[in-house]
Amino acid sequence: MSFWEYLGSRHEQLLADAYQHASAVLQCMVVATLLGVVIGVLTYRSAWAGDLAVTVTATLLTIPSLALIGLLIPVTGLGVAPTVTALVLYGLLPIVRNAIVGLRGVDPSLVDAAKGIGMSRPARLLRVELPLAWPPILTGIRVATQMLMGIAAIAAYASGPGLGNEIFRGISSLGSANALNQVLAGTLGIVVLALLFDAVYVLIGWLTIPRGIRA
Amino acid sequence: MTWRTRRPPPEGERPAGEHEVHGIAFRDPETPEEPPPAAPAGRRVGPAKLTVLPSFLLLLLLGTWLWFRGAHLDAIAHNAIADGNVWLRLRQHIVLTVLSTVLVLVIAIPLGVLLTRRRLRPATPVVVAVANIGQATPAIGLLALLVIWMGIGMRAALVGIVVYAVLPVLSNTMAGLRAIDPTLAEAARGIGMSPLGVLFKVELPLAVPLILAGVRTALVLNVGTATLAYFGGGGGLGDLIASGITNQRMPVLVLGSVLTVALALLVDWLASLAELLLRPRGLEAGD
Repeated sequence: MSFWEYLGSRHEQLLADAYQHASAVLQCMVVATLLGVVIGVLTYRSAWAGDLAVTVTATLLTIPSLALIGLLIPVTGLGVAPTVTALVLYGLLPIVRNAIVGLRGVDPSLVDAAKGIGMSRPARLLRVELPLAWPPILTGIRVATQMLMGIAAIAAYASGPGLGNEIFRGISSLGSANALNQVLAGTLGIVVLALLFDAVYVLIGWLTIPRGIRA
Repeated sequence: MTWRTRRPPPEGERPAGEHEVHGIAFRDPETPEEPPPAAPAGRRVGPAKLTVLPSFLLLLLLGTWLWFRGAHLDAIAHNAIADGNVWLRLRQHIVLTVLSTVLVLVIAIPLGVLLTRRRLRPATPVVVAVANIGQATPAIGLLALLVIWMGIGMRAALVGIVVYAVLPVLSNTMAGLRAIDPTLAEAARGIGMSPLGVLFKVELPLAVPLILAGVRTALVLNVGTATLAYFGGGGGLGDLIASGITNQRMPVLVLGSVLTVALALLVDWLASLAELLLRPRGLEAGD
């Protein structure tokens, strides 16, 4: 069976897997973004808390994803729970780091000026600091999404959802006629999803980065 | 000048540098604090850097070992770790990591140097595009494709790990070489150095911190990708994790995971020490 015939005959299964993959990554990214920005906002003003958050996230990022999933399984069991936990955790890391770096990089004279015209602390944060720190945060979100695409594939081994199942089906039937088709379909599917997400982020950047600070 | 509205303490109890005007305490501008004493030359690594992570790892491994000794192991779990399997997998993992890192550096750094030479500059966008697609490729898919192409075994795993890590290290090296102040290379050419002289005596020494960062990136990435080598018959600690998952034997799963985590943290720590110790002296003032 050629690759195109394979795609034709299995397109329902593949589309369902691709949809689950994209939806798992998307939902985990939304949670990770919210949590990451909140952690960044809470810690960036204190030297030690911010540095601690950056150090902890950098350390966690060195942990291989299969090992983290392995440590989660005794706690959460197999399936969606360890997948979502691992995806949110890994998604957090680049966002927290970039949020802290971005918020700390905001020119203090601008914050001072906002204070001078009578803006309250939440207003300063929402209308001055976060919009200025948004480009690095968005970069963090892009990096995190690409990473999660690959980690979600590995999580399929712990019975997680998505295109990783296609790859592992191929691996477990190595030598059979369809092994290559399965692995290829899963891998290319993830590449296409990752590039699509990236294109959407470029668009979001165009729409949300304030005109004054666009590069 | 800062002022405080707290009640003035009784006469004669003001701390030094504070005085009273109309019942309000005024304080002289703080005398600038002495700058912290510069770290003695030759000691760039503080005691915390040397002790925190190793002691954490020791506790982690000790705790796991104690727990593992008390855990109930049935025949299947026993089988998964029998005959020195744990040591074998750990050794395989280290071999895979070290070999692949050496290969990554041997490929990526010369390639980065070549691609930043003037004649090959036009190729840069192509490399960046390939690197972007490479980043989007899942490691497990890449590895599986290589196994189908090259057959099961350590060789396919090694190639997969190397391919996966070459791109980030390559783009790091290129960014580092391009970020070097062009006037420095210009000056070196101006005093009559040959192109090779400029490269080896000016550009590469200045790029050392970046190359070391590349080494660290490669090592950390490779420890992670090496866990997937098991799925292509390449061995490594992924064997313990995977058999723990498929057989539902938690002690095996946790042992494999903890060993992998400890190895990853240790490797990252060693690489960060190397980064601090091997950086050229002349570049320190710039930090």
